[in-house]
Amino acid sequence: MRILFAGDEHPYSEYALKETIKLAMNTWADVTLLGVSQALPGSALVNMPASKALRHYRETFLNSWSYEDSPYEMGGGKYEWIPVKNGVLEEMKILTGRKKDFKVRLRTGNPSREILTESQDDGSDLIVIGSAKEGKCEWVNALLVPQQVVDDADCSVLIVKEQQPVTKIVACLDQGYISQESLEMINQMITIHGACLDLIGLSQDGDMEKSVYTRLIEIGDYYSDRQIEINTRLMDISDFEQVIAQEIKQDLLALWLGKKSLLNRFFSRGWVGRFVSKCPTSVLVMR
Amino acid sequence: MSKLRIMVLDDEPIVCKRLKPALEKQGYEVDTFTQSSDAMKQIEQVDYDLIITDLKMKGVDGMQLLTAAKQRSPKTEVIVITGFATMETAKESFHKGVFDFIAKPFKLSEIQEVVTRAEAKIRGE
Repeated sequence: MRILFAGDEHPYSEYALKETIKLAMNTWADVTLLGVSQALPGSALVNMPASKALRHYRETFLNSWSYEDSPYEMGGGKYEWIPVKNGVLEEMKILTGRKKDFKVRLRTGNPSREILTESQDDGSDLIVIGSAKEGKCEWVNALLVPQQVVDDADCSVLIVKEQQPVTKIVACLDQGYISQESLEMINQMITIHGACLDLIGLSQDGDMEKSVYTRLIEIGDYYSDRQIEINTRLMDISDFEQVIAQEIKQDLLALWLGKKSLLNRFFSRGWVGRFVSKCPTSVLVMR
Repeated sequence: MSKLRIMVLDDEPIVCKRLKPALEKQGYEVDTFTQSSDAMKQIEQVDYDLIITDLKMKGVDGMQLLTAAKQRSPKTEVIVITGFATMETAKESFHKGVFDFIAKPFKLSEIQEVVTRAEAKIRGE
């Protein structure tokens, strides 16, 4: 698994980093910590808030493990040619994680575009990103970043709103097709949090597509076979938004974002951001 | 140079279905199993160069298979793939000598890269 953490210098990014550390501790994923700054000359760039925050995040990340437990502890290193400016390469000794890759990157430009480009270049399976809590799905200085990342990412996105224990994963099934990758992502979340799964099948005016109903049963069987506690219930889509705001307190809301999604049809574009705003806890958007 | 012989064991058929053609395309000979008991019998008959195994399975689990495979053929490299990863299983896997531990989901390119590195080790490059 490859995880991309994208953060700025605000507290919600610190929460997102902690969630990234928790995920990395269990999965031993390859991890990239990414910050995005405005384009400035190199010397000015290193003193920008994003680069300072990244240094702090790198220390926090690497110091979370004891030496013998860390798959990211740096090994002996090898020499590589690194471009330092146009047409000039310098041979530098590069340290890499003993067992898993750990990278810290700073990009310049539009934050959401740079995050999405990095996730594509790196082949990320999951983007972890923080979001301001109070009725928002925003970053402080670049309001639309979480919303744009969720809307346009190729992979799953975990939006972290604050640090809190997760006891239940509430997954809302509104389409017949779900990817194997998304099920695997839920499996990892269940394992990491020791959580049970609450599976909600969404219907409209009392009708549920046959494919959704069939999938609901298949998923129930899949988890029962693996001795994972699962509760399945049906809900009308018109009640869904209210339930998110009222019921979800210590839960992780998991949404499938697909072309055939009922939520996609029922709500206008940007509905994920609307739900993330309503939801007081973290949200996993799966593809 | 002889083809590397690889066993893939995962109780989810879709995983075997994805991995087999991807690895065969890289030039490897691949046998897939969805029942760990069948895989266990097979490693009594065949010394694989590389085993890619899931951990959480009914009956014999991946850790038991890893132990048995390493006992029978210490040269066999093992890559663990798991949908239910924990730090304990990662540490235990490395303690038992796995080549790599990969949490699901993963991209095919990721596992292909790891298999290429394992091949280099097996061939002593």
